[in-house]
Amino acid sequence: MVNQVPTWLPARIANFIPRQGLLRHLLLGLICAVPNLVDWVADRWNKMDLFDETHVQEAKTNPWYSLGGMWYWAWILVIISGVILMIYYIPETSISFRSIENIQSNWVWGAIPIGAMVRGIHKYGADAFIILATMKCYRIWFTGGYKNGRELSFIVAMVLLIIGMYSGLTGYLLIWNQRALWATKVMATFPTYLDQNPSYLPLGEFINATNQGKTTAQVLLGGTSIGPATVTRFYAFHFMLSFVPMIFFELRVYNRGFKRMNISNWAKLAVFGVILAVAILIPAAQGSPANPEVTPNPILSDWYFLAMYHMLKLQDPYLATILTVGIPVLVLLALFLDRRPETEWGKRQIANWIGIGGLIYFIVFSFLIIEGIADIHRDAPLWYYSMGLFLLIGYFQDWAYVMKRDSAKWWQTFHVFFVVFILLCMSANTLYHYFGDIREWNNSAKALMEQMAGGGAMTQDAAYDLLEKTRPGLNLWHTPAATVAAGKPKGMELWLFHVIGWLGCIVAGTVIGLARWGAKRDAELAVLEAKAKPKAAGA
Amino acid sequence: MQENTRRFLLKTITSLPIVGGSVLAMHAILRFFKPTMVGGITGLMAPPDEAGSALQAVAQVSELTKPWDFKDFIYVRKSVEYSSRKWQGAKIPGFVVRLPDEFVDPKDEKSKYVVVQRICPHLGCTFNFISNSEELAGGYNYKAPPPFHPHFACPCHLSVYDPTRPQPIAGSVAGKAFDKLPGKVVSGPAPRPPRTMAFDIKDGQIWITDTEGGGVG
Repeated sequence: MVNQVPTWLPARIANFIPRQGLLRHLLLGLICAVPNLVDWVADRWNKMDLFDETHVQEAKTNPWYSLGGMWYWAWILVIISGVILMIYYIPETSISFRSIENIQSNWVWGAIPIGAMVRGIHKYGADAFIILATMKCYRIWFTGGYKNGRELSFIVAMVLLIIGMYSGLTGYLLIWNQRALWATKVMATFPTYLDQNPSYLPLGEFINATNQGKTTAQVLLGGTSIGPATVTRFYAFHFMLSFVPMIFFELRVYNRGFKRMNISNWAKLAVFGVILAVAILIPAAQGSPANPEVTPNPILSDWYFLAMYHMLKLQDPYLATILTVGIPVLVLLALFLDRRPETEWGKRQIANWIGIGGLIYFIVFSFLIIEGIADIHRDAPLWYYSMGLFLLIGYFQDWAYVMKRDSAKWWQTFHVFFVVFILLCMSANTLYHYFGDIREWNNSAKALMEQMAGGGAMTQDAAYDLLEKTRPGLNLWHTPAATVAAGKPKGMELWLFHVIGWLGCIVAGTVIGLARWGAKRDAELAVLEAKAKPKAAGA
Repeated sequence: MQENTRRFLLKTITSLPIVGGSVLAMHAILRFFKPTMVGGITGLMAPPDEAGSALQAVAQVSELTKPWDFKDFIYVRKSVEYSSRKWQGAKIPGFVVRLPDEFVDPKDEKSKYVVVQRICPHLGCTFNFISNSEELAGGYNYKAPPPFHPHFACPCHLSVYDPTRPQPIAGSVAGKAFDKLPGKVVSGPAPRPPRTMAFDIKDGQIWITDTEGGGVG
């Protein structure tokens, strides 16, 4: 089917398609893209698993398959407690902090603080939601649960996790305390960087002219600042984000006759018990009322955004905005790069290292920002470097496995351009950051981009001369004096070398990959034709 | 084939007004989500309303006589909003700093003062005036070169600005307002110096005449 010219294609066009070769496969892929996509989605839609409702058998022996049920149960607890809180909560900036205080202290039954407990269940239930969702995503990742037509299970779990995080963000502004106000401000300023696309990007200027970043910020906040309109808006988003996905899941359960939660009543009781115990032992904090005039130092976001928050310190904000949006996209991309059918742990080490690396960054970044001990000038290259290292370790383990599996020689399975690309990235980041400062590197990169675009003056930053003088041992590359005298950024030769190297690796890797793909498709075609021939002869 | 084509054509012709009507209805809904006064389809893509700001006196000259004297103030800017009040007063915190004489142009009275919005141009937190080198190194991760002088520093992502040094910003045109802004970024991720306020000195007071827009208040 995949190799055949579709019958609905007019003969006039079909005749142009070559009998074999790369061009044939590319053209066929393009022509059949839409029907193939529809088939693909329909197949995945049928196999989709949301809260482990299709893993009833596995759950009997393997507790990791109860995560989905527990996740959904935490969600139900959050919705119930949330609806109760809605009765007493008032979404108005002047009074909402006070209304939370009322819920906490005035709503008691004898000596039992009912209000504080309900609020605790809501808060810690939401934390449990995030933890269980993350654990389920990791379970799917590490067990290869997204393979063999189950990609949508992972994608939906990931999207639900992101929805949960946004629901958390919109939820904690409602308390109207300092942490909420500043987290919202950071979150709402993010989209404005989408209007600052560099002019060398195709359509960059056009996108900037549409003001879509500022429009997004305005739609989120209901104005140009965080105020009463923001609170009512976030109240609506908060409820909508939690409730709408649940309706879709309930419809699916109803239509297909699944068991809603694949866990026993005892497990439900245990989850509820843990959340209630935490709510009683560590009463949900309220903080101090929001004050737009003072940002406390240190200021932290909710725990699941901490790692991201630390990342913002290390990056140019435009790049950081793209990365924040891009990290989930990158994870989903990695999912589609891992096309082999093996699901065993030892046979897909590169995917494991991506997962482990992500977890390490999450934990270490959160720790660093809580302790406030990171050095934003010196640490950044270390993180880039380790990222490359994880990928290389994973790649070499994978390579060893593939060689053994196919009994191949090393050069037959070695992806030289991938490895060189990663090595170039690592050397660029380490070298450039140790010129003095992360900003030095960012500035020279930007200036080169501007120069390549044919406009914009380059500026030499005198402050870095001072910085370099204070740490002479780290200056690894000496820019020719003439370049410095001309006022051009330092280290540009190395930067050019890296850019050309990256582009070369990407182009070479793509060409080789496409050639291999074409050859594989040709072989499949040959098999198909060999099968078809005897029939034709018989008829 | 012929029949299919005819049916397709008829379907298209019928559906066009329906799609058009839906887009118009959606437009009305989207306009409700976006509180701006610019009407029509173009209103969806228009930059946010920055309502004209009135003159406000923010500091006395007599308060700022010694080098590195500073004052924080709140400047209120109104913008339109679909809330029960129909407008929202965005409070813009600001700083006036008196520079030491070596950074001052003796012919220009205004060059004695640096007036900036305290909203960090990185991601919108309110930054502080730090006059202690240990606090700047420990709390904001920036070891300033000697001789030490105070800096602006933001607690959220540790951007540090030097009020004595100007920095040109992207797209700025020399000679026009806001072309070279005080508060050069010396550490941290901020992409540009703080947003400025245009000011005048009259009757021994510092008056804010205009504010640079674009931030989230």
